[in-house]
Amino acid sequence: MRKLYHTSLPYLMIFPNVFIYVVFILLPLVWVCYLSLTDYNVLSPGKWVGLENYTMMLADDIYLKAVRNTIFYWVGTTLPTMFLGLLIAVLLNSKIRGLAVFRAAVYLPGIMSSIAVALTWLWLLNPTQGPINHFLDWIGLPSLDWLQNMKAALPAVTVVGTWMGVGFAMIIYLSGLQGIPDHLYEAASIDGAAGVRKFVSITIPMLKPVTFFLFVTVTIRSFQVFDLVYVLTGGGPVNSTTTIVNEVFKAGFQEYRMGYASSLAISLLLITMLITLINYKFGSKQDA
Amino acid sequence: MALQANQMKKWLLYAVLIFISMAMVLPLLIMIFTALKGDAEFSSGVNTFFPKEWKFTNFILALQATNWAVYFKNSLIVTAITVAGSLFFNTLSGYAFARLSFKGRDLIFIALLLGLMVPAQVTIIPQFMIMKSIPLFGGNDIWGNGGNGWLDTYAALIIPELSGAFGIFFARQFYLSFPKELDDAAGIDGCGVLARYFKIYLPMSGPVIASLGILKTVAVWNDFFHPLVFTTKEAMRTVQLGLSVFQGQFSVAYNLQMAATLVVSLPLIIMFFVFQKYFVQSMLSSSVKG
Repeated sequence: MRKLYHTSLPYLMIFPNVFIYVVFILLPLVWVCYLSLTDYNVLSPGKWVGLENYTMMLADDIYLKAVRNTIFYWVGTTLPTMFLGLLIAVLLNSKIRGLAVFRAAVYLPGIMSSIAVALTWLWLLNPTQGPINHFLDWIGLPSLDWLQNMKAALPAVTVVGTWMGVGFAMIIYLSGLQGIPDHLYEAASIDGAAGVRKFVSITIPMLKPVTFFLFVTVTIRSFQVFDLVYVLTGGGPVNSTTTIVNEVFKAGFQEYRMGYASSLAISLLLITMLITLINYKFGSKQDA
Repeated sequence: MALQANQMKKWLLYAVLIFISMAMVLPLLIMIFTALKGDAEFSSGVNTFFPKEWKFTNFILALQATNWAVYFKNSLIVTAITVAGSLFFNTLSGYAFARLSFKGRDLIFIALLLGLMVPAQVTIIPQFMIMKSIPLFGGNDIWGNGGNGWLDTYAALIIPELSGAFGIFFARQFYLSFPKELDDAAGIDGCGVLARYFKIYLPMSGPVIASLGILKTVAVWNDFFHPLVFTTKEAMRTVQLGLSVFQGQFSVAYNLQMAATLVVSLPLIIMFFVFQKYFVQSMLSSSVKG
């Protein structure tokens, strides 16, 4: 009995985690692959349709639009987020007073929920009374119905997403900067290197692992964008801000086309995996 | 001369930093001051930064306008149980993976880590179907048919979040740094495997619990997607879901909208200022993964 207790104890300890993992992640992962090959729609039991959902998806203009929008949001948030995060981190890394205050100010938007952020910006961007249009009016520029304008809506959502994410990038970069040993800079100073030169030949290379981590994390997050779009625009006007996850939600939980929605979800998984793999390939190559 | 140039540089640095911080905080300040404005200020066509009359009663009006007490209760219950439960299960598993040897350990561990790669939105459809067909709950028979299962219950929002590949990974890394002699000494004293977890590892887990606790609290309190999919009843709404519905119901009461937004965000903002150091640590801990 005692022996049985000892051999089974470790399994008992990990059981709750593993069980939940199997039921709510592993099983759904296998299931979503299967569902994507059926026409399951809640009302009737799904029928096997092979790759029909996928051919339908690739011929669906709204889906292709959603992919383009998601890629726009990815590029439009990831690059500015990382650039601004690095810039602010470098400024904060210079032994100044009030570091905690500046850091808190930059990070604060990052702990708000995307719903709270979206509501705040709905007001800021309000077409008739919002502060942004009032300001534009005041300096003599034409105001704009930002979130209802086909051209402006997606860039506006992207700016909001960037505002939310900069704080996280800043904190990660700041710790990366603090991890660079001082003697590297001292040695460079002795060799007569100036500020910019030091930044290019010491800081940037030393931050490579941090940059790589941030790029992967911010990329994965940006491909999952949903809440912001759901509240700010609902995907409109005329699908000009819809994203992949928004289409999954629409097809699955509003139109109940769960088979088709599953194929959209799989496409999200494949795109995320592809980008992660490419990142790792480049990341590890440069390390070697 | 050199000193003066340095001084100049310093002032310039401060000016740039103040400008950036103001730009980041400005939307929040506008949100707060808008929350305090009287209704009349929105029809006048003039938009001032500060309220003309400071109406602190807006917060009470916003909270009375809908069932916020219920939404806050739901969010508090879900967040508290999820955070406490996941911390316990994650550290327990992390300890097992770090310190015990058992068959299949590394394989199970790697399988768990692969789960990190799967975005929550990818599995949401089968997850919804599983929630709907949990046997013997919500009017379901033993085969999971006929009722709503765990949909519209706390269980749907809590149970899946109790497991967490990142939490296990992070706890394991932390425990691996403990000296092995600790276990040997405890073993000589007759301390069993479980006793070692409760008496040695758990009490020394402060940093892990702080970091994981903060990450989980923020994630669960701010979660919108899962409550949106798993609940439909008003009695089950969390604060984030409540906030998005509130926006639709009071779409022109901008002051009340901003008041509600602030109230919903306030718990985390206060937590952030009280535990700022730990917040920063928790953000950094997430980069261990890379």
